[in-house]
Amino acid sequence: MTDMKINVHHITRVEGHGNIVVNVVNGELEQCDLAIVETPRFFEAMLKGRHYSEASHITSRICGICATGHATASLRATENALGVVPTKQTELLRKLAFFGEILDSHILHVYMLVAPDFLGVGSVIPLAKQEPEIVMRALRMKKLSGDLCAIIAGRHTHPIAMTVGGFTHYPTKEELLDIRKRFEAVRVDLKETVDLFESLDLPAFTRETEYIALRKPDEYAFIDGEIASSDGGTWPLEDYLSVTNEYLVPHSSAKHAKNKRNSYMVGALARINVNFDKLHPHAKSVAEQLGLAPVVTNPYAISVAQVVEIVHAVEESLNILDELVGNCLKWEEPVKPKRLSGEGVGAAEVPRGTLFHHYTIEDGVIQKANCVIPTGQNLANIEADMRELVPTILDKSQAEITQSLEMLVRAYDPCISCSAHLLNVEFVR
Amino acid sequence: MDDQTPATTLILALGNPLRADDGVGAAVIEALRDHRLPPDVELLDGGTPGLETVLYFEGRSRVIVVDAADMGLEPGEWRRFTLGDATLKSNDMGLRGTLHYAGLAEAIALADAMGALPPELIIFGIQPESIGWEPGLSEPLCAAVDIVAGKVLAEIS
Repeated sequence: MTDMKINVHHITRVEGHGNIVVNVVNGELEQCDLAIVETPRFFEAMLKGRHYSEASHITSRICGICATGHATASLRATENALGVVPTKQTELLRKLAFFGEILDSHILHVYMLVAPDFLGVGSVIPLAKQEPEIVMRALRMKKLSGDLCAIIAGRHTHPIAMTVGGFTHYPTKEELLDIRKRFEAVRVDLKETVDLFESLDLPAFTRETEYIALRKPDEYAFIDGEIASSDGGTWPLEDYLSVTNEYLVPHSSAKHAKNKRNSYMVGALARINVNFDKLHPHAKSVAEQLGLAPVVTNPYAISVAQVVEIVHAVEESLNILDELVGNCLKWEEPVKPKRLSGEGVGAAEVPRGTLFHHYTIEDGVIQKANCVIPTGQNLANIEADMRELVPTILDKSQAEITQSLEMLVRAYDPCISCSAHLLNVEFVR
Repeated sequence: MDDQTPATTLILALGNPLRADDGVGAAVIEALRDHRLPPDVELLDGGTPGLETVLYFEGRSRVIVVDAADMGLEPGEWRRFTLGDATLKSNDMGLRGTLHYAGLAEAIALADAMGALPPELIIFGIQPESIGWEPGLSEPLCAAVDIVAGKVLAEIS
């Protein structure tokens, strides 16, 4: 192998537009980039001058998958700025909606985007032909998670019932009991999911990096907490900028980030590496069954970590549903702000990793906003993986190298953008 | 809810009423609610379920989809067709790209691959004038709602 150029224009089965560019000259890797060609979206500028109550609804539109995640981080930033402490019931309901989204996103990723690679089929369509039951199971589980979001947050995506200080709508006891029954029943699908992923072989590649996730003393953190690193150290949320250290690179319209090393990882695998001890016991035993023993340094294992989190989210959702029904869910007015000016940071572990929202509010109006999204934090780490992986597989064909790189990028589940659609019809004459 | 045997005919509206004429399916469903329907017929405003549309096909002997469709016709013109009559142009039929694009065409392709298409699938497509960012149907689409609802009624009676 002397010279080789790989140019994957638009990586498939990821959300948004990114390219892989590899250039090998005389057997030496000269260039290995993940180019992000998505147009910047300017959401932070859109928030300026808007009333604080609009922020969660505007920012939930950043993503059609992590809508509840953005809304949650946004509400926590506003609440921290304005001195609002939500009630225990609000916290439980928010967690439940959040788990619905984690499940929806992870199921979509492991089944529709990742599984076709491991089962040697090009996409979900041939998978559906070969293994219709696998795809039907995925759709069934996805629908259940969407329905959970809908009864708690008012609709499947883009929560409408979540507001600063609480909720504007509550599920009925019947809705909670009905969805609880369906969550109980989904355990069969969970077992099948775990068995499927146990049977798949991950590419053998490891690279040690820094893993960053939110951490809480008494639970596997998804909302709030402090920032923790596998390299040691914790930071309060307010110091997020000293962890993310964002910087610009010429080949990406999304910023890169680094903390103690040249790059770090966020997301399901980073969370498991940082918070393994806080997983639900069932999820922990599934992790052991799937061979995940922290610290896991194979980035392809991110998808396996997502399977573990699917189990965790189902079990924790059942616990919360029991608690809400047992405590007789009641109507609560949202907690009112103590002040109308202030500065606050909110954070959440959305499906793809740690998300930060940071607002400055004056007289109820947002003056300054900053959002740091997980995919941006992962980009430098994906490239570092690519640069270490390529020299070890240069003896393979160009097609095989391309496939390995695409699977690597896909493992991170990057979420580069969102879009709209209309049915187009051409008649057969 | 899931324990019940589903009605054998499903009339399924797809589309987003916040996107102007994309809400025509939902409007037809609303118009049909004013009529007495056979007991084995269920009306459903499905919204924009993407691939999960496949789940609505499960166990049905007949599904009638009502949706805004770009067919190159005049706004408000409608067509009744089945899969043999037309090619549904996909944004990404192989589902290789982002799943955000998944709509009816992709859901049908997926159901077909899984052998999960209903025995009878009829589509009523209505040509939109606008699918802008506002609720409410344009004039030609408003006029089409009752006509299409009448044709759907005739189909099930």
